[in-house]
Amino acid sequence: MEKQLVQLTVNGEEHDVVIRPNQTLVEVLRENLELTGTKEGCGEGACGTCTVLLNGKPVRSCLTLAVEAQGKEIVTIEGLVSNGQLHPVQKAFIEHGAIQCGFCTPAMILTAKALLDESPKPTEEEARWAISGVVCRCTGYAKIVEAIMAAAGE
Amino acid sequence: MHGICQDRGSHHGRSRGVTERENSIMAEHTLVGKRVARIDSLGKATGQARYTADLTLPRMLYGKVLRSPHAHARILHIDTSKAEKLRGVRAIVAGKDTAGERWGVFRYTRDQQLLPVDKVRYIGEDVAAVAAEDEETAMEALELIEVEYEVLPAVFDPLEAMQEGAPRIHDHAENNINIHVPIEVGDVERGFRESYYVREDHFVNSEYTYCQAEPYAIVANYDLAGNLEVWMPNASPHTKAKALSNLLRMPLSKVKVRNVYTGGAFGGRSDIFPGEFIAALLSMKAGRPVRLVYTREESFTGVRQAHSMIVDLKTGVTRDGTFLANEIKVVMDGGAYSSTGPIATSVPFLVWEETYRLPNVRFNGYRVYTNKPIRGMYRCHGRAFLGGLGMQLDMIAEELGIDPVEMRLRNALKTGDTQATGSKIISCGLSEAIQQAAEKSGWQEKRGKLPYGKGIGIGANGMMVGFPMGIRGGSSAMIKFNEDGGATLISGVVDNGQGNDSMVVQVAADVLGLRMEDINLVSGDSEITPLDQGAYSQTAAFVSANAVKAAAIDAKEQILDIASDMLDAMVEELDIKEGQVFVKVRPERNVWLGKVIRTALLQDTPIMGRGSYIPRIDQKREWVSNPKGQHAGTFSFGAVVAEVEVDTETGQVRVTQVTGAHDCGFAINPMAVEGQLEGSVASGGVGATLLEEHYWDGGQMLNANMLEYKVPLSVDMPQITPIIVESVDPEGPFGAKEAGLWGSMNMFQAIGNAIYDAIGVWIKDFPITPDKVLKALEENKDS
Repeated sequence: MEKQLVQLTVNGEEHDVVIRPNQTLVEVLRENLELTGTKEGCGEGACGTCTVLLNGKPVRSCLTLAVEAQGKEIVTIEGLVSNGQLHPVQKAFIEHGAIQCGFCTPAMILTAKALLDESPKPTEEEARWAISGVVCRCTGYAKIVEAIMAAAGE
Repeated sequence: MHGICQDRGSHHGRSRGVTERENSIMAEHTLVGKRVARIDSLGKATGQARYTADLTLPRMLYGKVLRSPHAHARILHIDTSKAEKLRGVRAIVAGKDTAGERWGVFRYTRDQQLLPVDKVRYIGEDVAAVAAEDEETAMEALELIEVEYEVLPAVFDPLEAMQEGAPRIHDHAENNINIHVPIEVGDVERGFRESYYVREDHFVNSEYTYCQAEPYAIVANYDLAGNLEVWMPNASPHTKAKALSNLLRMPLSKVKVRNVYTGGAFGGRSDIFPGEFIAALLSMKAGRPVRLVYTREESFTGVRQAHSMIVDLKTGVTRDGTFLANEIKVVMDGGAYSSTGPIATSVPFLVWEETYRLPNVRFNGYRVYTNKPIRGMYRCHGRAFLGGLGMQLDMIAEELGIDPVEMRLRNALKTGDTQATGSKIISCGLSEAIQQAAEKSGWQEKRGKLPYGKGIGIGANGMMVGFPMGIRGGSSAMIKFNEDGGATLISGVVDNGQGNDSMVVQVAADVLGLRMEDINLVSGDSEITPLDQGAYSQTAAFVSANAVKAAAIDAKEQILDIASDMLDAMVEELDIKEGQVFVKVRPERNVWLGKVIRTALLQDTPIMGRGSYIPRIDQKREWVSNPKGQHAGTFSFGAVVAEVEVDTETGQVRVTQVTGAHDCGFAINPMAVEGQLEGSVASGGVGATLLEEHYWDGGQMLNANMLEYKVPLSVDMPQITPIIVESVDPEGPFGAKEAGLWGSMNMFQAIGNAIYDAIGVWIKDFPITPDKVLKALEENKDS
């Protein structure tokens, strides 16, 4: 398949990447841009581990072609630290013990950020539903929900 | 050196009472017992934590594995010539490129060639592999490899596999029996004769899978000097290195299993798998690094699953519900190879004897070969089995008119008891855990009193903290200091996500009067860090942290010894806080730790802390040949109360509330302990009891993907109330034992019993899916 030149805006930075049109966004983020904070858990949209923000909305980057993301703002976990400061959701996850193996953490944090951007004071039920697209095998989700509610309280 | 429990003398010619030192340390915790943020969480929250598939080495190749489409077949010929000619292919390996060695966890279970030479025994077994410039080329090359098979008859059911005339999977295994563990204690027949009530039940449980968040992955890098470096999610770098060294016929010291973040293990990252062997072979052949990342499907079928089980239970009790006799038979589907076979086959019994007083028991465990993928340990073995026993206990309680909580308390092990096969209990909070879980959940007000469709049930467990593992059963640690007073801790401890790295730093910092951020950690590397059992058999806190504590105490003693001259005070009068060594009664008399470190260097007595711990177990105990004697250094205990709502129209069971108490000995970091409890209510609990199982067409797994293998999501989870019980173990560091297996050991029985309370039916077939609930209701109506 012929490669093509594509411009992607990731975490506020513009990148020129040469890719095949069938490459998924997760593949391009990880392999071409070395943004390995985005994880690939299943490759078929089931586990949610590859979640990134596309124009502020959580999407599964394994079901998104990189070419579709042209002209959109892509935010990955690496883009959440600003001026050396952690995002409040990151801080809450750390302080509330919401991180165990950490493999789903980038997806969980980005999903929680998108929720709080849209709905700054969610109910616990809303927080639970918001992250229901991301599988975690370690935490039982309890402390993740707790962290999101704490971040919302700030 | 045995931890801090013996008077170790001194490197400086002075003998000290370590117990006294221990007491002074116990008296003033700055960190231990506190809810502290884990040291690994910053990297994980920011995407900086690197997992195996994130690693890239210069000139790295991409590996892919060709897998068997047959459940049982002889490999007649493998032709790789076409694949070799494909542009971008750099190496191809198959069975003929191996030394033909077989691996098994025990000498007597070495039955698996990780790239088989003669035949394949399950669908998905590794047959050949390619390393190429990119993954697409590697996949294309797989299609060009021609394998000629002679398909053999296969068998997929363990009971069929045991029949005369069944296809023979391994030449050495008569009736395909891989392992038989017989255990007999006391006079079982007499126990039954003297019983007031005897009951027999039959339980079954399907296979299920870890489904760790991280798919399996390996990076291997072989150099011309003969060093092999390997990165992979693993629970025990030393175990992996030993296996690779045997299989590749390389010196152990040349196999260097490196530390890398691991995205969950749950028992499924301990054994050796073909992936690392294949990646190593490819790297050796190509002379370049190779990365091999499993697809999710390969992670389901090509690593490990949990055993399915068929269980027959017979229990006899006195009129007041005291156990008099147990007879237990378990048949486990082991899949194609042994893996941890002898352990897997024994643990279902052990977790029962670790919970209750059993005067007369007979156990027969059979692990049977079938032409299915290989089974290993998953959040311990035999939970379904324990679930059955825990449900049968409730059935008996009902027959005798005894409350299930009371029935458990009457039989519960206590401190000072000896288990059926001879392990002494040195600390036990089982009764407290049962009582607290019952009390906090409102058991008295709810049991038998909730409206139809709602119910409450309890489960309880004991759990070995470690088991005989020979030289790999202990841990050691070192601490060195930098001239600025900061330290580096070197420990074999392994962290798969449960927080073991953070735990040992917390322990060392607490003892040394430093902040956690003052201590660097080097852990879990088979070349650099000392031998350790790994994140295996629940021993990281009890064994690894014990070794670290001993090393920290050793370093502290050396520091105080140097400082005593500098401050003109007795060692006993000194302590360290926030990097200052000071006189306890006159804190203004102090010296900066960095200065003490420098002074020690100039005096040619550099501060080097050293500690080790090996649990006091009977090293002659053996799983099959000698299952008696002290099995583990200590045991943890727990109880769970689950509340359910059953929709009798749809058969759907929803767990609404879980209240559980766990005797972890002592919670080094309560937040991390709670996290372990909560996590085990999910994957090993709600998931394994109600949702997770595999479907098969013969040897073909039909749901090797996350769309059809259903795991609990956030919205499936109950409210969880974790209760920490601290029995303060006399051996454990600060009294700590383990915290990982509380929910998962108890959820089967708690949910099964709660369903009975809700709708009056016992479901003895796990997982308890809606169809089984409806069928049970239907049968109940008919009867």
